[in-house]
Parts: sequence; structure tokens; C-alpha cells
Amino acid sequence: MAWYLIAILFLISLWGIIAERNMVRKVIALTFANTAVTILFVYYASLSGNTAPILTESGTPVDPIPHALMLTAIVVGVCVVALALVLVYQLYQRFGTLDMTEIERRVWHGDEDT
Amino acid sequence: MSAVGVLSETIRGHAPILVILLPMAAAGIALVGKAFSGRRGFREAAIVLLGLSVVVLAFTVETVSRDTAAVPYALGGFDAEPAILLLLDGLAWVSSALVVLVGILVAVASLPHPRFDAAYFFFLMMTIAGMQSVVVTTDLFTMFVSFEIVAIGAYVLIAWERTPQGLLASLKYLFLSTVGILFFLFGIFVLYRDLGSLSMLTLSSLIPQEPAAASAVIPGFRLLTLPEPGVARSVPLAVAALCVGIGVRTAFIPFHTWLPEAHAWAPHPISALLSGVLIKVSFLAMVRIVAAFHAAYLMPLFLWIGAITALVAVGWALAQHDAKRLLAFHSISQMGYILAAWGAAGALSGVAAYSHAISHALFKSLLFIVVGIAIERAGTRDVYRMRGVGRGAPLLAVGVIAGSLAISGIPPFNGFISKQLISSALYGSPAYVLLQITSVGTVASFIKLSSIVLPGNGGNGREGASAGRLPPTERFSIAVLAVLTLAGGIAGRVVTRFLQNLTDGGGERGAIPALFELSAVADAGVTAALGAAVALVVMSAPGRRVAHRLSEVAPELRTVLLFFVVGLVLFSLAPWISI
Repeated sequence: MAWYLIAILFLISLWGIIAERNMVRKVIALTFANTAVTILFVYYASLSGNTAPILTESGTPVDPIPHALMLTAIVVGVCVVALALVLVYQLYQRFGTLDMTEIERRVWHGDEDT
Repeated sequence: MSAVGVLSETIRGHAPILVILLPMAAAGIALVGKAFSGRRGFREAAIVLLGLSVVVLAFTVETVSRDTAAVPYALGGFDAEPAILLLLDGLAWVSSALVVLVGILVAVASLPHPRFDAAYFFFLMMTIAGMQSVVVTTDLFTMFVSFEIVAIGAYVLIAWERTPQGLLASLKYLFLSTVGILFFLFGIFVLYRDLGSLSMLTLSSLIPQEPAAASAVIPGFRLLTLPEPGVARSVPLAVAALCVGIGVRTAFIPFHTWLPEAHAWAPHPISALLSGVLIKVSFLAMVRIVAAFHAAYLMPLFLWIGAITALVAVGWALAQHDAKRLLAFHSISQMGYILAAWGAAGALSGVAAYSHAISHALFKSLLFIVVGIAIERAGTRDVYRMRGVGRGAPLLAVGVIAGSLAISGIPPFNGFISKQLISSALYGSPAYVLLQITSVGTVASFIKLSSIVLPGNGGNGREGASAGRLPPTERFSIAVLAVLTLAGGIAGRVVTRFLQNLTDGGGERGAIPALFELSAVADAGVTAALGAAVALVVMSAPGRRVAHRLSEVAPELRTVLLFFVVGLVLFSLAPWISI
């Protein structure tokens, strides 16, 4: 079940990146896509044991590597999202709109000197 | 052992980490320079630190050029499985040397412009460090992180001048390559889940050499029987996901759509870096991945994607009148050549692909730097309105001509040599015809571009202010690149042999064809003549009208992402349907 939910989350966020016209919503969709992949790793790792990977505790510790990987991936994702928001803000300041289709039309087809 | 011997031994042993750390240290110096803004010399110091990588590479060349030899380096001294192993082998050495060379020249060419300040140098050096780390790592997750370091640097640098086009191009690149890298992560996930490792070396040993026996079902389409169920079954899916993730960075069709805007609107030294080495680095990462997973079934797909990319992109390039956009489309087209040569999977394929990658890195950096400077001086990006580029700076004209001759494959420039190798690698393949047509288009398009050196009224009448001499640093970069472009051609045989030593690793080794044969030179002549004819058509008034309409077409992000999904489907199906 969880696998399907993760897949659905990823597909929805992909659709968001494609279909949303508002750039901020596109960025939000991007963070969702990032999260979907993170959950994928973490959920998989959670199946491998039942306690935190600390050696002193009893029980089967989970595989710590996917968690370590995802910590890094989350940090990288935050950087990318921060940068995306900076770019969105700069474009908003120049064009006064968040509609990506509108901005693309204005940039690539005339009236570039806004 | 003498002190010098110990030192050289230490450098050799630590080479894989040093090539990453030196540009990082350079980035650190640049950052300090940012804190003390107003003080000078930090940018120069950063270049010097980056330049030390040359010493490191020089110390290791002897080791890596021995058959199958490589310098391993276990990060942090751990050599058990989850630890990260860096590996400087022949292929990594070549790419690393290319990154350092182009990186230094690009940094030097940026020096005279005050807008390229210390912060710019920080991002430039971090991008270079990231590329070096993509090149030397054998760990897939490290490769992901390195790709993201490269990408973040590239996003910032593309938007550096804060033009609306630059910002938009950067954002588009960001969306596309981030989605791409998520697929890369998915590929890593599948591999880790089923094979339990992240190291390409370990994974490679876990996957059987011959994953599938082909059986003919429909003529022209062979449905491959799947590898035995269980472990290896998911590997083709993982490899497809990895290739899609990297494919966005390598910019072959259908993942190319971000490149023209990004490379055209980045500051010109950055365009040189992006077109010159960044797309090559991701190509080399793909070479490694395909080799590690024995994914030979992808080769025909790459051959055809490459040939089609080359042809389609050259068609778009012919339609451009924006000089930098024209060059950007040619980058896609030339990547197509490289991909096709590699996909041919013959004895010479590897050498042909790497040789063209190097040639392209040199002449395309040269072209982007000279054309970028010419655009600044002329105040226009329109090839038809830029005239008299060489006035006051003959070196610019020399650079444009040398680069154009090289990319057109005219002897004795390096493009001629690598295109010769590609011809030999692809000889007899139907894809070769597409590349021949592409060559004609390339010549035509560069005849159009080099018309900017013709005398005439430059720009919008502002040429008076801009016809001064070039700063010495820019002259240095242009001269070095132009000389290397020519030297790579004249010493073609030596360079090719050296490359073969470094990259073929003792395997079967294709004989290098005679490079300056009369028939080959005659071929180049015929191509040039045909190209001139096409150029006449394209530059005529009706040709210009059609071209203008075509060049107006700029795919929106929505369309672009749909392209992306189509490409993903194509790749995911590749293991099962081979052309």
C-alpha cells in the first residue's frame, strides 16, 4: 500500500511541475517530488528492522545507510529549492507576475525590455 | 628515498582527492576575497590554486597510462563496503585534465570584467570541484551529490547577469535537471534495494556479463528475453533511470530543450565552461555507468539518439540568427556525434568519442569566448548585424576562424582528426549518413557565423566605443585555445595514440586509421563545398525569412517536461525493445 502512495505522490508532483502555471506552485511540486523519493528510501529502510540503529538497544536495527543518504539528499534539495525561489522572486520583480507561461511568452517573443 | 621522491609519491597517492580539493580550496580563497571586497588578488590566487591541479595530473600521467592502471583512494581511509572509493583511471584522468584546462582558461578570461567578482569565482571553482568529483568517484550516491554541486553552481552562474532570459533559462534548467536527478536517485534506490551496494565496482561484479540473449521476434525489433527473474531483473530499469537522470545534463534529444537558452544567456565564459566541459563530464559519467552495468543493449539506442540529435540540432542551428544560440545548438549537435560514435560500440568507438569530446571542448570554448566578446563589443547578438569583429583585435577574428574551421572538420584542425575517427568508427552504419548530412549543415552554419569577421559597419553604430584592444588575459585564453585547436590537429596521431593508451585499458585496440589521407581531405573539401551551397540558401532572403520564423519557436517549460516524460518512456523500454 505504502509503495502505491509513494508512487502516487511522485506522479502528482510531476504533474504539478508540468501543469501548474504559477512558479511558486511549481517549486512546491518540486519539493513534493523530492519528498516522495526521500520517503521511498526511508520507508524501504524501515522494513529492514524495528529499532533505531543504535547498537546498545535490543531488537533488529534498521539499515542506517538509506537514512544517511536521505539526510544528504534533503540538504541538497533544500539548497535547490532555495535557489529556485530566488530565481522565481527575481523574475517576479521584473515581470510582476508568477505565471511562467506568461513570462516565457514575454521573454522569448518580444517585449523583452521589461 | 629523497624528499622529492617522497613528495611525488604522496602527490601520486592522493591525486584523486587532490584534484577535488584544489578547486575547493580555490573556492574558499574566492570566498575570503568576497569577505574582503575591495582587496584585489584573491581571484588570481584562486586560479593559481586551481592551476596546481595540473601538477597533480602531471605526476599521475605515467601511472594511469600503463594498461588498466589506476590510482585508487579510499576516502577517510575506510575501505570496507559503504565507504567511498575514488578512482583516477585513464578516462578520469583525461576528463579531469580537460576540466582543469578549460576551467583555468575560462577563469582567466573572466578576470578583466569587474562583474565577475570573487563570488562569481567561488561558484565557478565549486562547479569545477563538482565536475572533478563526478569524474573520479566510483560511488553512485557521491556522483549524485557531485552532480548537484555542479548543477547549483551552474544555476547561479547562468543567471549571474540577471537578465530576464538568463533567470528564466536558469529556472528551466533547474526544474528539468532536478526532476532528472530524482530519477537518478530512483535508480540508486532500485540498485541498493536489490543488490545492496552503491559502489559501481561492487555492483559491476554482481551483475552477470551477458544479461540477456536476444531473440528475433519482429524484423527490425528484437524483443530481448529478460534476465533470469530475481536479482538482475530490476537492473535494466535502474540503468534506464540513471541514464535519464544523466541524459538531462548531457542534453541529447529529447532532453536537450533547456540547453539553447541556458548556454546562450549565460555570461560568455560560463557558456564556454558549460558547453566545453560540463556536458562532457555527464557524458563520461554515463559511459561509466553503462560500462559498469554491462548495458550493451543500450548501445544501438545511443547510436540512433546520437545521430538524430546531431542532425536535428544542426537544423535548428541553421535557423538561428542569435550568434550564441547558434553555438548552443551546435553543442547539442556535436554531443550527438560523440554519442553516436560511442554507441557504434566498435573497436575505435571509445577513442573516437573521447577524441571528439576533447576537440569539441577546445573549439567550442574558443568559439563561445570569442563570440561572447564580439557580442559585447558589437552590442548585438545578431550574426547578420555583427560585422568587422576583428577591428582593433585581430585575435578575435583568428579565434572565430580557427574555431569555425575546427568544428567544420577542415584539416589540419583537431575537428578534422576526431571526425575522421568517428567516420572510421561508424563506417558502414546507416547512422553514418545522418552524420554526413550534419557535417554539411555544420559547415553551412559556420560560414554564416564567420561572416561576422567580414569588414562592415559593426553593431548599431556604437562600434567606436568598443573597438579597443583586448585585455591581455582574454588574449591569453583565446591564443591558448586556438593553438591547442590547431596543435590537436597537426599532432593528431600522437594525441590519438596517447588517448588510446589512457582509455582502452589493455583491451582490444582498434588500429588508428591514416588521418591525413588524400581521400579524407578530399571528403572534407566536398563537405565544405556542399556546406557553402547550403549556406548560400540559408543566408538568402527567403532562407532568412524561414529561418527567422523557425528560430522564434522556443518550447515552453510545459512542452519541455512532456518531452522529458516521452524520453523516459523510451529509455525504460530500451532494455526490452532494441532497434
